[in-house]
Amino acid sequence: MADLEIRDLTVEVDGSDILRGVDLDLDKGKTIALMGPNGSGKSTLAYAIAGHPAYDITGGTIRWQGTDLVELTPDERARLGVFLAMQYPVEVPGVSLTNFLRTAVNATSGQDVPIREFMQRLRDEMAALDVDESFLQRSVNEGFSGGEKKRFEILQMALLKPQLAVLDETDSGLDVDALKTVSEGVNRLSGPDLGTLIITHYTRILRYIAPDEVHVMFEGRIVASGGPELADELEARGYDHLKTSV
Amino acid sequence: MTTPTVTPVGTTLDGLTEDAVRAVAAGEPDWLVDRRLAATKRFLDQAWPDSRTDEFWRSTPFAKRFDTSHPLIAEASSDAAVPTSLVASLELTTAQLRIVDGEVVEASVPAELAALGVVVTDLRTAAEEHADLVRDHLGSLTTSGEGSGADEDRTISVNDAAWTAGAFIHVPAEVELTDPIGVHVHVSRAGAHLPRVLAVLGHHAKATIYLEHTSDEGVDALVDEVVEVIALDAAKVDVVSLHEWAMGVSHLALHKFGAHRDAQVRHSAIVAGGATVRLRPECDLLGPGASVRPLGIYYADEGQWFDLQPYVRHLAPKATSDVLYKGALQGRSRTVFRGNVFVHKDAVGTVTDENNRSLILTEGARADATPFLEIECADITAGHGSATGQIDARHLFYLEARGIPRAQALRMLVHGFFREVLTEIDLPGVEERALAHIERELAATDLDRLGINDAALRDELG
Repeated sequence: MADLEIRDLTVEVDGSDILRGVDLDLDKGKTIALMGPNGSGKSTLAYAIAGHPAYDITGGTIRWQGTDLVELTPDERARLGVFLAMQYPVEVPGVSLTNFLRTAVNATSGQDVPIREFMQRLRDEMAALDVDESFLQRSVNEGFSGGEKKRFEILQMALLKPQLAVLDETDSGLDVDALKTVSEGVNRLSGPDLGTLIITHYTRILRYIAPDEVHVMFEGRIVASGGPELADELEARGYDHLKTSV
Repeated sequence: MTTPTVTPVGTTLDGLTEDAVRAVAAGEPDWLVDRRLAATKRFLDQAWPDSRTDEFWRSTPFAKRFDTSHPLIAEASSDAAVPTSLVASLELTTAQLRIVDGEVVEASVPAELAALGVVVTDLRTAAEEHADLVRDHLGSLTTSGEGSGADEDRTISVNDAAWTAGAFIHVPAEVELTDPIGVHVHVSRAGAHLPRVLAVLGHHAKATIYLEHTSDEGVDALVDEVVEVIALDAAKVDVVSLHEWAMGVSHLALHKFGAHRDAQVRHSAIVAGGATVRLRPECDLLGPGASVRPLGIYYADEGQWFDLQPYVRHLAPKATSDVLYKGALQGRSRTVFRGNVFVHKDAVGTVTDENNRSLILTEGARADATPFLEIECADITAGHGSATGQIDARHLFYLEARGIPRAQALRMLVHGFFREVLTEIDLPGVEERALAHIERELAATDLDRLGINDAALRDELG
């Protein structure tokens, strides 16, 4: 059995079917890419894994190391090592970034990390991701540019050390330099203890983060699966041909 | 000289007469007695506010929330359980004055401050020893008529007529104080209490005043308070008003500032206690370049009714005002924000902004907000706004998705809501005190029952 095992997952939003029976496996140590046109249901899958309250799971299972996540609250999932780097991170006014990160690290690690040790780790990770120290004085995502928000998502990933990372369009809105920095950040975190699901519309992030498998979603189902070469094929032919093939 | 003894006056607020006022004023100089009697005439000509006809009282039923049949209290109970004030707990060498049950029971000024000419004393004593200052300024912001805020409201004239215990503060020109001056009003006896504060800051003077309000548990009282603060040219004054009453107290408060040329005024209200608090932080911007920052934090719980009415009058050119009030509500509670900014036709170059935010945490609470602007002058920059909402489900999800349990996430979001104001009140002990109130209220609520606004979640569906 794979570490992440999604079976026949169906999800509704506001009464309309978005996912119509998704099967997907991901093992720790692997990176897979989920591609597809806008509206195909990629982000819905990401949110369903994380437990977003607006997404109704109407059927199927999302098992993570044997536990069905569907029954768990978002914070319980996060404490099991599930992490979602969001496509549009929300600004949370008044909640200081430092306090938020420390609370999250303590909650997911189950330990009260001493403040000095925590700040040292935070400064190191910020330096690695080229995030300015002045961010320590700010509120969560408040006044961040699109690129800064994406970097901050990866910074959180680095601090929380998840075992399953879902990156939802982390590449969108990043210029080439930022994309490189963020990709290097993700690669540095990769290893035998991390499974990564990269959700993307374009292939450009896959030039920096090499996937082991590529899956293509269309109208709420996985319609094609293959190796990295599948991404190249999509790059060459686009998504339009999917519409005729299904 | 000696401080005249106050004899029991044997009157209720409703039954206030000239004779009763004369009894309150026993031993005071004639000019002060005459002023009190003039105010008594106004009082007798006026009626208590009527919520059906008085625009400023439309949201709060006066008769239901304020009992004017209480007897006037002018003597401290010997067994009052007066808590340590915030200023006293800071262990600073500073001036402090305490009013218990309508009587000044303590006033002290350390020698260093006295040497600078700083006065903090009983207002009656000041009426003798600093007669010119008191004569010039007492009532100057409540009764002088034209241009400076004559008040048609009996809630003010009753205090002008019959205030029982008063604090007088004088910070002479060019004296800059760093530590806060403490004025502590405590209520331990049931009845009506009429405290008065007059503070005068000379030109280029600087001072912070903590005005603290506490009461014994279970005491049923009406407190009608008038505070006047005169900030002369380029003076800087910071007033913190802590409302920490037990549930039996209803508080009517006018805190009125006159800001002369280039004076800087800040008023920070922290309203947490009392059955009813109706606070009017008002400022007349009298000289060019004057500025005022009225800030408020309030947290209403079951049975509480807070009515907050900041009022700024731009009467001179190039003055600025920026009102920010933030409140949370839970249980069957009610808050009213009725802000008003008036810009006189001569007040060219005015810059003003006025904002109110309410966070409704549980069902059954209600917040009304009306930020007004009355503008007679075209050449100004003005903004105003209000918003009432619940915890944003997107914020909650973001925190939960990082492993933070719901109860803790909600607590962080409520703190975050107040953070904008808290960060700005950078005075010793105040943030801690406000946080303690927020924590206590949060501890009293069932976090599982908090209302969450999930309409915003739809924005990010894709």
